[in-house]
Amino acid sequence: MKIIGITACPTGIAHTYMAQECLEKECKKRGYEVKIETQGGLGIENELTEEDVSSADAVILAVSVSIEGEERFDDKAAVVRTDVDEAISHTAALVDRAVALVKGK
Amino acid sequence: MKSFFKDIQKYLLTGVSYMMPVVVVGGVILAISLLGADQTATGLVPANPIMVYLNLLGKAGMALMIPVFSAYIAYSAAGKPGLAPGFILGYIANNTVSINGVDCKSGFLGALVLGLMTGYMVKWMKSWKVGKTLRSIMPILVIPVTTVFVIGMIYYFVIATPVSFLMTALTSYMTSLNSTSVIGLAIFMGIFAEIDFGGPVTKAVSMFTLALISEGIMGPNGIFRILVAVAPIGIFLSTLIAKDKYTPEERNNATAVGIMGCLGITEGAIPFAIKDPKAVYPACIIGNIVGALIGAFGNVTCPVPHGGFIVLPVVGNKLWYVVAILSGAIVTAILLKIFKKKLPVEETEEIKNSSAAATEGN
Repeated sequence: MKIIGITACPTGIAHTYMAQECLEKECKKRGYEVKIETQGGLGIENELTEEDVSSADAVILAVSVSIEGEERFDDKAAVVRTDVDEAISHTAALVDRAVALVKGK
Repeated sequence: MKSFFKDIQKYLLTGVSYMMPVVVVGGVILAISLLGADQTATGLVPANPIMVYLNLLGKAGMALMIPVFSAYIAYSAAGKPGLAPGFILGYIANNTVSINGVDCKSGFLGALVLGLMTGYMVKWMKSWKVGKTLRSIMPILVIPVTTVFVIGMIYYFVIATPVSFLMTALTSYMTSLNSTSVIGLAIFMGIFAEIDFGGPVTKAVSMFTLALISEGIMGPNGIFRILVAVAPIGIFLSTLIAKDKYTPEERNNATAVGIMGCLGITEGAIPFAIKDPKAVYPACIIGNIVGALIGAFGNVTCPVPHGGFIVLPVVGNKLWYVVAILSGAIVTAILLKIFKKKLPVEETEEIKNSSAAATEGN
């Protein structure tokens, strides 16, 4: 299982990175491959490459603001869209939802 | 309907997100330019030509915050073609327009409405099915010109008057607050400003204080910026005075949370609030009310949308600002000590083991 995602919050200094950490931790705990791009105050960091996107099973967009490059995921079947808070407060449930999407198809 | 409001929230937050650095630059440089300024009948006059220039730089930032806000609301809703009309219409909202002999300036509130309208109109126009020849000129000619013209007219004939009336009423009310209503405002802000530690409610209150900054009223923002620091610093202090109620990991994290609080970042408090809401919420809210009241009493002002000790150089009535943050934090810490339950036994064992291990290590 490979999960990729983007986190972004309005101010871009705290929530963005907390959400990234939560998602990475949760996925690693389950033994999934994971890469989370952040779109915070400094712009895009840890950018998802084309290869990341094409090889990923599920995409988690935990964003509270509009993000750049959302069209990258147009062809992905399993995309979960939510706000950044859920990735921090309910990380496990969110990852479950993404996994359920993958298994459901 | 729910997703409609969710969308609007996202658009507004995107606008705030892009506006934030602009206001910070404007506010900080403006505050620097007024250091050592002469107090005259017409207001503060910068001390020397360099300061006059800095004043101009700062004001440029403050003047741009409103157009940037509406432009990025529109951008969030409609993508790139939303930007140009958003900037232009936001600029109009921030300038005085004479309508039937009445001067109208709708400011922040007007920019918010115009940004949303622009966003939705551009989004709608993008969905038009147009012929090939027309399609190439849609984004550079048809969409921006039509949007600015149509919404500009709606603004002149419909929106400008009521919204600028509202904005004027709000600012004149805020400048003429008597002591009772100041206390009311402080308590209100104490309860709601940080109730979700940097989440949507916080951002709504923040937008309100930002709107007032753009009108030159810095008091409510001063109170708000105190509150940003109270909860995280309070939690840090409580881990010092109530060691038996936190796990070693929590106490480790609390140091970082306290430092973040000093730097004006509240979010560090979230994990503590999630873990033990029954203790953390009441303690933080009461601490916030104390901080807000002291800040209001000391007439604390802050020209930038960021808080904690890091903005101290540009804060007005610095001593009260510091006193308010510390008092709020200390109250929070003491209440946490009272409200928090002792750790369950096995976790206490863990502490003993880990401290024993630490001693052995020595």
